[in-house]
Amino acid sequence: MRRYLARRLLLLVPVLAGVSIVIFMVLHLSPGDPVEIMLGSQATQEDRARLRADLGLDQPLHVQYVRWLGHVVRGDLGRSLWMKRPVLAEVLGRFKATLILTGTALVLSTVVGIALGVASASRPHSVLDRTSTVASLFGASMPSFWLGIVLMVVFALRLGWLPASGMYAPYGGGDLRDLLAHLVLPAVTLAAASVTIVARLTRAAMLETLSQDYIRTARAKGMVERRVVLRHGLKNALIPIVTVIGVQAGYLLGGAVLTETVFAWPGVGTLMVQGILARDFPLVQGCVLVVALSFVLVNLAVDLLYAWLDPRIRYE
Amino acid sequence: MIVTTARLALLTLILALGVAAPAVAQLAGTLVVGLVAEPVNLDPAQVTDLNSNRVGRRIAETLVTFPEESTQIVPGLAESWVVSKDGLRYAFKLRKGVSFHDGTPLDAEAVKFSIDRQINPEHPFNKLGKYPFANFFFGNIKAVEVVDPLTVEFVLKEPRASFLAVLTAGAASIVSPTAVRKYGQDYALTPVGTGPFKYASWDRGQRVVLEKNPSYWRFPLKLDRIIYRPIVEDQARLTELLTGALDLIVGTPPDYVGQLEANPKVTLLKQVGAHVWYLGINNQKKPYDDKRVRQALNYAVNKDAIVRDVLKGTGSLSVGPVLPKTWGADGGLKPYPYDPERAKKLLAEAGYPGGFTTTLWVPESGSGMQSPVAMSTVIQSNLKAVGVNVSLQTMEWGAYLAKLRSKEQELFALSWMAGTEDPDMVMYPLLHSSQWTPNGPNRALYKNEKFDEILHQARLTTDEKKRADLYRQAQRILVDDAPWIFIDHEIQTAAHAKRVQGFKLHPSFDLRIETISQR
Repeated sequence: MRRYLARRLLLLVPVLAGVSIVIFMVLHLSPGDPVEIMLGSQATQEDRARLRADLGLDQPLHVQYVRWLGHVVRGDLGRSLWMKRPVLAEVLGRFKATLILTGTALVLSTVVGIALGVASASRPHSVLDRTSTVASLFGASMPSFWLGIVLMVVFALRLGWLPASGMYAPYGGGDLRDLLAHLVLPAVTLAAASVTIVARLTRAAMLETLSQDYIRTARAKGMVERRVVLRHGLKNALIPIVTVIGVQAGYLLGGAVLTETVFAWPGVGTLMVQGILARDFPLVQGCVLVVALSFVLVNLAVDLLYAWLDPRIRYE
Repeated sequence: MIVTTARLALLTLILALGVAAPAVAQLAGTLVVGLVAEPVNLDPAQVTDLNSNRVGRRIAETLVTFPEESTQIVPGLAESWVVSKDGLRYAFKLRKGVSFHDGTPLDAEAVKFSIDRQINPEHPFNKLGKYPFANFFFGNIKAVEVVDPLTVEFVLKEPRASFLAVLTAGAASIVSPTAVRKYGQDYALTPVGTGPFKYASWDRGQRVVLEKNPSYWRFPLKLDRIIYRPIVEDQARLTELLTGALDLIVGTPPDYVGQLEANPKVTLLKQVGAHVWYLGINNQKKPYDDKRVRQALNYAVNKDAIVRDVLKGTGSLSVGPVLPKTWGADGGLKPYPYDPERAKKLLAEAGYPGGFTTTLWVPESGSGMQSPVAMSTVIQSNLKAVGVNVSLQTMEWGAYLAKLRSKEQELFALSWMAGTEDPDMVMYPLLHSSQWTPNGPNRALYKNEKFDEILHQARLTTDEKKRADLYRQAQRILVDDAPWIFIDHEIQTAAHAKRVQGFKLHPSFDLRIETISQR
């Protein structure tokens, strides 16, 4: 187990190196030049040349990459081209907000998704099952920015129940209640698609499990239905569900980019959008690296969870 | 247990809604402003974007500035100035008794320091920042000399009558030398100036807070605190204003203008800005080297329809680069009327009775570009009606600017925010032949020797009346030469809650909230 963990952690290195090369290439090869974007239409040729040299962008691509990598292994993600601030501090400062948002969305999609799935599977073709099928189709096909704006118009503008954007009130707030109020709309928006996926998968996995012989046996023994469904059914259906939740965690981290932008949530997503628009290479690389790292770690956690759920699974 | 889980989920939702009910208790003396994006950096010498500029100008000020409603030059930190006969020396007398927020007195050394750190590579603080516009604005400065503690003299390499307008630029803000020495690279995060508000705090992605400068030299302030919040999504910004969580927003998208005008809870403000949006024509390329073709395009485009239907009234028709109703504008000039028949006739005269095919490059978005793709689409269909088949190529802003230096452009959409009404600040860079891309921003590759000479003469003349005469001549040449399709000057919009009083939009695109009081 310990050796397995060590091996998996070591594997992080090539994965992150691969991610960094891909993102470096995508950023540098896509059209748009940070110098042009920063200086706009008023810049002179000399201004551009000077800034390009100042930022080290006049060097060949591989030189720029190696230089950047050299700094990264020493724990220095560089300074943002635009903001002139150290990237690492900037990204970590924003990561907490992203964790709060994606964490809440993950809990929401897990709890609601599994509950809906189990309920649908235990009474297939009932009204609840049909409603949840239709709702799932709707939830999965709504783009989050659209859903976010609709929720905002309804709950913030029309009903006035919830604040429309930000993480805390501009002044006077700052406590947990304030945070929760601001969290509701973005978390629901972000979780919507995941809830439906978790619910559909739970339903399918449960239906299969509930048709097994040992379930019939359990029922024949006279076991209470709730116990049959949850102890014998859900527990055995959990492996695919956990897998999909792990995937959803990554999806939520990525989806946070859109949701954060819509709701002005001060996380890594808004920072990344700002960075991409400005072609701020070090900043975007820093953001992607942190997000990729957390995605890989979540996957590792899911793999470890399998062994706990199913004692037959062992790691060598 | 299933029921319990479902109940639990429901309970969570109810609880979540229960904590809600946003408390929008307004705090007296605090103004919350919604910006379209987060400021990037608050060192005025390093600012390249409008949002940073709008915040930064509250903190640091310039030697000369603009009055409330125009971009004519009035005293700022300098109370008076003398220009030498040859136009090469500008001596400024500084206001007495003004100090920076950190207590450092404002003196000639501070002025010298603020400019020198940008233009002198040997300056100890030159390497601590990147000064992107040092060359554009200050390339003509030979030296900044301290005459006495309250007198500073700028020596120019060659005369330039618009030099005072140059000194209104954000990059010309005077910063506290003590603070720059103390904070070094981080000065951009802890700016110190003489302005009406001082920097208080910055929660990344959430808010920038400024607090009142109690000893502001110009007038006593009625606000205690300003909180700037970056909200990128238009609908979110609008919702926050309508629900009372924001007091003021800028940059309302054209589609929301009607909605805001009709809303009794808010006041919508409009103000034409020192900006021009034009459809550039490559004057050196066939068939555009023929003046009649360029004029035909101007007759073919329905500018009224663009302003009315695409911009929803957030644009004012343009007759050239100079802002109408300012001192350098020629009030006698009229925009080209929409006259497709005349356009066809001119095209036929030029030898293109059946029209021709061309390309139009358009950025997807960009600073000051309004609604580039929608506007260009109207232009495309207008031109098609007179036989000119335009293929539209949209590009990302940075890639677009780079591509314009290839000189391969035929038609291209572009804008210019001079931020001042001085005609030299828009005509010279955009249309003088010494400014042909890639050396300067004359991307239409326009060249007219008479026009060049007039602009040059106007730079050497310090008398504003004589300059105005010269610029009027130049504008008449431009209308006839039609180097661009003239489209519009942006009308900026802002909306604020009814309790906000005393706010005016400024033609320079600055956001002067220091004049605000609350009811």
